Amino acid sequence: MRKDGTEARGWRLTGGELTEWLAGLLREGKRVIAPVERDGLRVFRAVESAEQVCLAPGKTRWSPKEFLFPRTEALFSYSVRGDQVTLEGASGESTEQVLFGVRPCDVAGLNRLDAIFLNGETDSLYAGRRSRSTVVSLACDEAEPECFCTAVGGGPAAKDGSDLQLIAGGDGWLVLPLTSKGEALTSSLKDRAAMPSTEEWAQARERVQRVAESLRQSPVAREWARVLESSFDLPLWQALGQRCLGCSICTYVCPSCSCFDVQDSGNAWCGERCRSWDSCTFASFTRHASGHNPRPSQASRYRQRVLHKFAYFPLSNEGQFMCVGCGRCVKLCPVGMNIQESVQHVVAASREGSDARG
Amino acid sequence: MFQVAQAAAATAPTVAQEKWEPRIVALICNWCTYAGADMAGTTRRAYPAAVRAVRVPCTGRIDPLLIVKAFEQGADGVLVSGCHPGDCHYVQGNLVARRRFTAFRALMEFLGLDPRRLHFAWVSASEGVKWSRLVEEVTAAVREAGPLRDWGRLTEAHRASVSLPATPPAPRSAPPATEQQAVAEHLERLAGTLLTEGRVSVVVGYTAGSLPGQMVPAFITLPEDAGTLGWSDRCFNDLAVYLPSAQRQWGKVAVVVKRCDVRAAVGLLQENQVTRDNVVLIGVSCDGVWDNGELALKCYACDGGVAPVCDWTVTPQGAQKGAVVSRAKRQVAADPRDALVAHLESLPRQDRWGYWQGQFDRCLRCYGCRAVCPLCYCSVCVAEKNKPQWIPSSIDARGNTVWNITRALHLVGRCGGCDECARVCPADLRLDLLNHRLHMEVEMRFGYRSGEDASASPPLATFRSDDPQEFIR
Repeated sequence: MRKDGTEARGWRLTGGELTEWLAGLLREGKRVIAPVERDGLRVFRAVESAEQVCLAPGKTRWSPKEFLFPRTEALFSYSVRGDQVTLEGASGESTEQVLFGVRPCDVAGLNRLDAIFLNGETDSLYAGRRSRSTVVSLACDEAEPECFCTAVGGGPAAKDGSDLQLIAGGDGWLVLPLTSKGEALTSSLKDRAAMPSTEEWAQARERVQRVAESLRQSPVAREWARVLESSFDLPLWQALGQRCLGCSICTYVCPSCSCFDVQDSGNAWCGERCRSWDSCTFASFTRHASGHNPRPSQASRYRQRVLHKFAYFPLSNEGQFMCVGCGRCVKLCPVGMNIQESVQHVVAASREGSDARG
Repeated sequence: MFQVAQAAAATAPTVAQEKWEPRIVALICNWCTYAGADMAGTTRRAYPAAVRAVRVPCTGRIDPLLIVKAFEQGADGVLVSGCHPGDCHYVQGNLVARRRFTAFRALMEFLGLDPRRLHFAWVSASEGVKWSRLVEEVTAAVREAGPLRDWGRLTEAHRASVSLPATPPAPRSAPPATEQQAVAEHLERLAGTLLTEGRVSVVVGYTAGSLPGQMVPAFITLPEDAGTLGWSDRCFNDLAVYLPSAQRQWGKVAVVVKRCDVRAAVGLLQENQVTRDNVVLIGVSCDGVWDNGELALKCYACDGGVAPVCDWTVTPQGAQKGAVVSRAKRQVAADPRDALVAHLESLPRQDRWGYWQGQFDRCLRCYGCRAVCPLCYCSVCVAEKNKPQWIPSSIDARGNTVWNITRALHLVGRCGGCDECARVCPADLRLDLLNHRLHMEVEMRFGYRSGEDASASPPLATFRSDDPQEFIR
């Protein structure tokens, strides 16, 4: 706390100042990736001007994970000319990118991708993009019906993984740097922007608190991971997976799903090896060359998705769920599958089963 | 397949602009056109060398995917040629192919492909002269069109946003909740009876989902669970999608169908995917589905009556055996999809191509469209065939263009128009308009409406000797 009653961190920006700040980042040659709305579809895109950025309440249709883990990327390519074979590695991007206006659930999704791609053997393509990225999160000022971040350890103003956080405050924005990357991004504000007062921070926190309360979700307990793991053979899975049609909307809109497939495409002259998103909900995901499929039914594939999010991943990642509670899979599923509800049902059924046996 | 890919790739793709020569893939039938081309050769007629011929047994063998694949692999133009009608070595291969090409051409036109790149011709074994002139004309046309640079590549022109006209107001309002509740109660009772009397083993209907107002598919196997069935103006799903799998699992299946869903059920009967005796169609008199307070476009022109094929009719007044048109006709209006298709067709060709390339670019390849489609029942989809990889697995405009063209073409004359593919698409692709355009083509050209008659031959599995062919030279 400073003598003048302001906290030593953060800036207060009006809408206009925020746009000006963003325009400055674009002028510096940074790639700014932010929510853009066109024809009713809000998705993250590299923006050309600061005015395109949409920070209205609500989420983008899918998460910004494709800017760290692209839908498709070439790992290498080859070309043949006469006797000469040329191999080329993946294109070396070097632009600094700012992921701007990312909801805390989506930031949590990026943290999960880090666990997948950076722990152990590092994925160099992902690591390169990650190190060139600064994440500016956007605290939620409204919860949508499908949201359940608070049930899985998140929150409408969760900060983990953000370099900087924006919170709606008064008639503008409070900007809170959280890391040195975040500080660097706000360096241009030092001479221009005002610092928020303690009351303004308090009001902002209170607003976020109200959003958290409006979520009213019963939490998923970390201990359930074991219960779920032992539920593998429960007949209930069959009923739960009955209506799943086996598309991959849930996994492709998911901020943390990270599965991919590697395929070669080419001919005698040129070609490339690509990795593209893939999904455990597809029958072909586990189909062996022999034709045998260890996950033969849609129900078994649905079980895999639920258990990976809520049992397998947490059991090897200090209890952290792979699901971040954005609720997109719930909202966009063609047949209204609800992963959180499935977890509750399976845990309840497992307990009933063990009570009956006990 | 490899022939196509190699034929197209035979010249390195990096040839400088000034040295550019068109690359044209000719898909030609073994018996007529190939012999005709041979004739041109033996009579020493000179013609441009831009054409790489791929010999196929019959034009009937030419899946449009071969043509799409040629473009995707870098061909600047494609020429398809075979025996004249009546001359087919296999009697009718070219006549069936003609219908397929009609639909394909209409789709490519709608997508905005430059018509100078796609040519069809009948060339007989004795028409060496026709062949050489044809190649000259086609080469000139493709040369004029220039190198195909915008297939699967978004150019600046594509970013020019095309916006569709606003939807006119709905011709009627949402039905009162009391009526919906009454339908739900009659459905519950009927399902209970069907299950108790053992007439079916499962009733596929709707039940409340976890989000406010959401209705989701439900499988009721016990009479005491029939009470969970519901009905509202948000029963979006086309439950016919479950018919084949439910029949395999349970045998006799009752399914709740709206007027639009019936078409898919009829399609499944028509294509022998389900047995009539195993299916009980419960037709619900439907006021249309409403999403976010907006009537679905497919409902504007639909009177929501119960189709004659249905075994039961459920209305707010009760459940009756048979298909009974039980209510005064609802207010209907022109199908807004007609106007949207017409609007896109009125645009300059390049803008249309840009519009669709922009759409395909954002496709996530989640295959939600395929999953919800009752007529997409193949146990292994062509998208999964990888020897060769017909449809590029890359999730970008290039691969997505091939996928979306193929999906639309596989539904020609089969799609029931439930528009579920467009509803569930997370990227808001206007798949409904692709399907609708093809509906219009099939109706206009072949006088056929899908999903009406389970005993009819699907339009692309049959032909008439006088089918229109003005686009074939």
